[in-house]
This record gives sequence, structure tokens and C-alpha cells, in this order.
Amino acid sequence: MRMEQLDYVFAALADPTRRGIVVHLARGEASVSELVGRFSLTQPTISSHLKVLESVGLISRRKEAQLRPCKLVPERLKAVTDWLEQVQEICEGNYKRLDALLAELKQQEKKERRK
Amino acid sequence: MKPAEASLPSDTEVLVKRSFDAPVKLVWRAYMEPDLMRRWCSGPPGWSMPVCEMDMRVGGHYRWRWRSDENGQEFGFSGEVLEVVPHARIVHTQIYDPGDLGFSMGGEPSIVTVTFQEAEGITNVATSIKFASQADRDAAFSTGMTDGMETSYQLLDRVLAEG
Repeated sequence: MRMEQLDYVFAALADPTRRGIVVHLARGEASVSELVGRFSLTQPTISSHLKVLESVGLISRRKEAQLRPCKLVPERLKAVTDWLEQVQEICEGNYKRLDALLAELKQQEKKERRK
Repeated sequence: MKPAEASLPSDTEVLVKRSFDAPVKLVWRAYMEPDLMRRWCSGPPGWSMPVCEMDMRVGGHYRWRWRSDENGQEFGFSGEVLEVVPHARIVHTQIYDPGDLGFSMGGEPSIVTVTFQEAEGITNVATSIKFASQADRDAAFSTGMTDGMETSYQLLDRVLAEG
């Protein structure tokens, strides 16, 4: 996924309701009315959230069925979580080096105290 | 120590927490002294921190720059120190310089607050990055230079793994 596309996916996931919808859809397809019942929001509100999720490719909606059930596109989300894991790893790399440096500083202090 | 924990306390903030097995005065030094800082804050594997200039007094400035060993690409951060409470808190502005990496991270400086708290020889460090806007924060995510949103997405990860 390109960087600009990731930006849009992040913006879409920045909203707690949309994150909730994504988690719900991870369990399986759902229609708009099912989601309206689940989230206690109005149908237009849910629909506008779905439109955002669909526009960034996080969900797809079946065109043939009348209820147009929504489905998660796991590959899209996987790309994001993989990327996040990578970011987390980079930071933890810094912190692990800091752990080692702090151990060294503690050791130095001990030596100085003994003098 | 447990790996870093990141969360999104508001639309414009990222908060990262990590504990260290050392008294606060040593952790503080590692954050304040450039010679110590550049040893641990060198970024992803294959990167180093050739520029680490810091005058960590209120009104002082700092400049950090990272370089890829492989192809010499660079990026950096710089800013002004706003508040210093020794062994407790440092607040500074942060401006991203994309160098030759090419992607933006929003125009306005963000505000970084690092809080240190020692309990029984363990120091808890909380780093809050407050962006000027949500758009700036989301742009920062895609540069890969923030500390991740692991916590917020752990649930999603788990659900997906089960599914």
C-alpha cells in the first residue's frame, strides 16, 4: 500500500464508531440495519460511516443483494496492522538500547561509589 | 521490561509509555545529554544519529538528525524547549524536517511532553506528542516515526487472528 493510501485508511480508523464497525465486521458480514441496531445510531449516520470505510477499501458491499451486506476486506487492514507492528518494533529498538545504556550507567555509578 | 505501550488519548495526541529498570536520575541523563542520547535514539536498524545538538534549558533549542547507512538518506527533528522540571518533566516543540525522505508530517510544530516518574527503582516514562491538528497526526503515522498505535489496534489484530 502506498503512503498516501495509508493516510486515508488511518483517517478512516481515527473514528471510534468506525473502528467499532470494523471490529464487528471482523466476525462476519452484516447489513446496515444490523449495524444500526448494534451501535444505536441512526441509519444515515451508520451509512455515512460505511461510505468512508468503503471509500478507503476497508469494507466491501455486495451489490447484488438487496440489503447490500457489508464485509471487511482483511487484506486492507492487515497491511495497516503489519505496518504498525513495524513502527512499534523501531521504537522498541530505541528503548532496548536505552535499557542497555542504563545498565551501563548503573554499573559505572556502582564503581564510582566503591572508589 | 514490558515493550512500549502506545495509545491515542485524543484525536490529536499519541501517548507512549515504557518502564526502565533504573533510577530516574540516570534515565533523565540519557534524555538530556547528547552523547548519551545519540547512543540509544539511533532509530531503525541501519540508521545512525549523526546530529544530536541539545541545549535543554527553557528557551534553548535542539536539533536531531538521522541518516541511513545504506543510502545516506536523512531526516530530522528540531524545536525549542518550553519547560524543564529536573527528573520530572520536559516539554518542547517539535518540527519535522523530511530531509530527502520526501513525505510531509504536517506544517505546524507539535508539542512533546516527556514525563518521568520513579517508583522503587523503576522509572516510568510517558511520552505525549500533541499535534497541531488531527490531519498532522495522521500524516505523522504514515512517516513511520511515531511510536505506533499498538494498543488501539490490538483488539483488531486479535479479532482478525481468530477470524
